[in-house]
Amino acid sequence: MNLDWSIIPASAGALARGALITIALTVLTMTIAVPCGIGVAMLRESKFRPVAFLATCFVELFRNLPIILVVYWAFYVMPVVFGIAFSPFITGLVALSLNNTAYNSETFRSGIKSIRKGQTEAALALGMSEGQAFRQIVLPQAWRRVLPVLATTWVTLFKDTSLVSVIAVGDLAHTAMQIRSQSFRVIEMLTAMAAIYWLLGYPQAKIADWIHKKFGVTE
Amino acid sequence: MEFNFDPVLQSWRFLLDGLRVTLILSGGVALCSFIFGTLVGLARRYGPEWLRVILVFYIDSMRAIPVLVVLVWVYFALPAITGWNLPPFWSALFALSFHLAAYVAEVIRAGIESVRPGQVRAGLALGMSGPQIVRMIVLPQAIVRMMPAFGSLLSLAIKDTAIAAVIAVPELMRRADAVAGQSYAPVEVFSTVMIIYFLIIFPVTRAVDMVYKRIAFLGRS
Repeated sequence: MNLDWSIIPASAGALARGALITIALTVLTMTIAVPCGIGVAMLRESKFRPVAFLATCFVELFRNLPIILVVYWAFYVMPVVFGIAFSPFITGLVALSLNNTAYNSETFRSGIKSIRKGQTEAALALGMSEGQAFRQIVLPQAWRRVLPVLATTWVTLFKDTSLVSVIAVGDLAHTAMQIRSQSFRVIEMLTAMAAIYWLLGYPQAKIADWIHKKFGVTE
Repeated sequence: MEFNFDPVLQSWRFLLDGLRVTLILSGGVALCSFIFGTLVGLARRYGPEWLRVILVFYIDSMRAIPVLVVLVWVYFALPAITGWNLPPFWSALFALSFHLAAYVAEVIRAGIESVRPGQVRAGLALGMSGPQIVRMIVLPQAIVRMMPAFGSLLSLAIKDTAIAAVIAVPELMRRADAVAGQSYAPVEVFSTVMIIYFLIIFPVTRAVDMVYKRIAFLGRS
């Protein structure tokens, strides 16, 4: 076995571009999925039954599907439904956002539900309006319970962005696999890919742990 | 928009066989990762210091590296290094289990740590040995509390098997891709397969929830 690691510095530029696309996908997906998740969580609690039912269907569907399948599905269905071709990046972004919106909505819903009713009732008794009670009493407490879960979701999302490589988004996984098949330096390229993911993902996992320790609620 | 479900109906045997592979692989991954992850979790909690350092590194690495990356590394790079040539199915079983076991180990650790230290001290005061306390006091309560987490890991195991399509394991996802490619009806094929996956995974998560609600009181202290 002869290893030739010079392929790694030679393709450093392409790998860095791939890593940037991976990070951009993570950030953009979270930027979309947090507000959408809050929206879906509110729809699920809607008094109007059909709306709540549809929101529940959306959440349960996307929570219970493999992401790689959602990626393929979006790749084929979006052009048919909208009648125009989307770039792989946009397709991947939509698939990841659908999935994470479902997860986040559950996070927000259970975070808000975890605040005991007595808190809202006490606020109302003090003469606050429903909106005030929600904004000033419930949200600040729910936030502490939601943040650690969001941190874990973030790390999972960062890893899951690798799955959009199957529709040729130029992310880190796809770039590394491309170079591997062109250069035949299989061991070197795949090890470098794993190492880059590790270098990027490990600090994120550690920060998530720290957030859990700092904000985690123990009862 | 016109839909044509004929390709799905024509190749239903082919897809059904893929479903069989998906289920076997899911079961295998769930079982292997459970056994390996339990050993890792226990060793991390009760093992010697040098072993803990290694295991923490393994667990944190698996939390940082995507399962797809572990999968392609095991399938393409590992045979080139070691000389063993594993078929796709066994590579997938190994890689997915190796990745998921880290999560199992974390669940085991969190469950064990959720049992208050006072209980261990009480056991010691009653003259029980260390292994006796773990077996008779800590684990019975911890296992019940771990159930919801294991439920989501089980559904994660099924979801992860779809990624094995990348290394050509002939499971449902891979076969759906093949049928979609031949039939020019990808929307119908992938939508059908989506429903199939949902129909498998959704009841699993629901069943675990229901069982847990029944036995949650056993884990209270």
